[in-house]
Amino acid sequence: MKKGLIQATDWYERTVHWLLAISCIVLCITGLGMMFHSFHFLGTIVGGLKMLKHIHNFTGLLFAVALFLAIKMWWHEAGVFSMPEDLEWMMCAGGYLWEVEKVPEVGKYNPGQKMFFLAVAGFGVIMVLTGVIMWFFPIEFPAWLVRWMYVLHALGFVVIFAFFFVHLYLGTIGSPGSLDAMTTGWVTRAWLKKQHPKWLKEMEEEGTLVVSGEEKKAH
Amino acid sequence: MSENIKLFDISKCTGCRGCQLACKQWNQLRAKQTRMRGTYQNPPDLQPNTYLIMRFQEVEDSKGLRWYYRHQACMHCSDAACVKVCPSGALYYSAFNTVGLSHEKCIACKECVSACPFDIPRFDERTDKIYKCDMCESRIANNLEPACVKACPTGALKWGDKDRLVKAAYKRAKELGDGAYVYGDKFVDGTHLVYVLQEKPGMYAALPKSPSVPLSIVLWKDVLKPLSILAAGGVLAGSFFHYIIHGPKTPDEDTSTKTEGGE
Ligand code: SF4
Ligand code: SF4
Ligand code: SF4
Repeated sequence: MKKGLIQATDWYERTVHWLLAISCIVLCITGLGMMFHSFHFLGTIVGGLKMLKHIHNFTGLLFAVALFLAIKMWWHEAGVFSMPEDLEWMMCAGGYLWEVEKVPEVGKYNPGQKMFFLAVAGFGVIMVLTGVIMWFFPIEFPAWLVRWMYVLHALGFVVIFAFFFVHLYLGTIGSPGSLDAMTTGWVTRAWLKKQHPKWLKEMEEEGTLVVSGEEKKAH
Repeated sequence: MSENIKLFDISKCTGCRGCQLACKQWNQLRAKQTRMRGTYQNPPDLQPNTYLIMRFQEVEDSKGLRWYYRHQACMHCSDAACVKVCPSGALYYSAFNTVGLSHEKCIACKECVSACPFDIPRFDERTDKIYKCDMCESRIANNLEPACVKACPTGALKWGDKDRLVKAAYKRAKELGDGAYVYGDKFVDGTHLVYVLQEKPGMYAALPKSPSVPLSIVLWKDVLKPLSILAAGGVLAGSFFHYIIHGPKTPDEDTSTKTEGGE
């Protein structure tokens, strides 16, 4: 490994992230395959639309577990906004859309990432709850209630699916260097300084910075 | 092809249940053992193997004691909520504008069960499929009337040209007077089972007063479903333009040079 890289995430954080990511992608694809007649070929590939339904349902269980772990892990870091910096950051869209003189410094997660986390957490829980009713009690529960479960499930899909592409773009080509944080977990100092300067400072001050090729400083 | 409907005139029905039996016979549906529950209603409800029942109701009020016999089966909506939600195409509009069902395609999602404003589709745990009346599609395709109509001895059930029968229905309702009315032609773009009824809407068990494709279903299938693709497409396009116009957010300190010509 190159020297001087900084550890941004540990194996547990990355495992939970990818568990959530992969189950979410499988759910989106299988869901699309059922919802749109033009995507029915996705069902044909796995041996029929009914198989696609089973894959969707059981992946949903995996998603529920991953979501629980993700919320537990990220709630404190990404679930709460720190005012007023986060508001200021949002007012200038984090400097992503137009030229901004000085973007407020952000910690481990910027407000955009926090919004993504909250959207996935909130709608993820809705997806699990509505999904469970659609799967296990579509006849037992009152029809009007079940119908609104479908509406919420579709709404959750609209939000998560759209956010997914934002995340995909900003996690890859839209912000070079970011992907490393979720693959090897080691990022460059320059990237940290640009993306999460406050976090870098915090880690430096608290002495929690883990740099490759250097002995970890005592707490 | 002319569009046919089934007309049920409640004033002519004697509750003989010939139609119910003919349905079982034609579709080769076994009957389940039922218990005497102190009512003529038997079986108690539509079932996976009972596509059609006669609804018996005993009503006693100021006008005295009366019995209603209502022929209940799929209404074959022109704007059918069940077809709208069915993801597999198992439920479909037939060549006769009725609503058909091909069991091989059904994936047992049960979405049609809650979507139907008339509570018609029934799910069978054993076969993992949905069942409902298909207006004897195999018969009408061969210019035969549905089995129930064929069996009806009183003329309470008729099968024929939509315009002609709807006109006849209005004429009959007028003849009967005393609040008789036509039910079905005005809902869900017109049903293919139309009733002439005598009691106020709402008096009949399991018959909605003014059925419609539920708002939730419309919101789900006509708004959110297309929106999911539009929103994702919008984000993808936005990302693309962001990349070429604004440029990615690179860690270098001098990114400003790269964003020249940006917004
Ligand atoms: S009555 Fe129900 S099952 Fe029959 S066509 Fe209408 S929506 Fe479908
Ligand atoms: S249960 Fe079968 S018929 Fe009903 S909506 Fe699902 S696939 Fe269609
Ligand atoms: S066969 Fe005709 S008269 Fe007999 S119950 Fe059916 S609709 Fe009524």
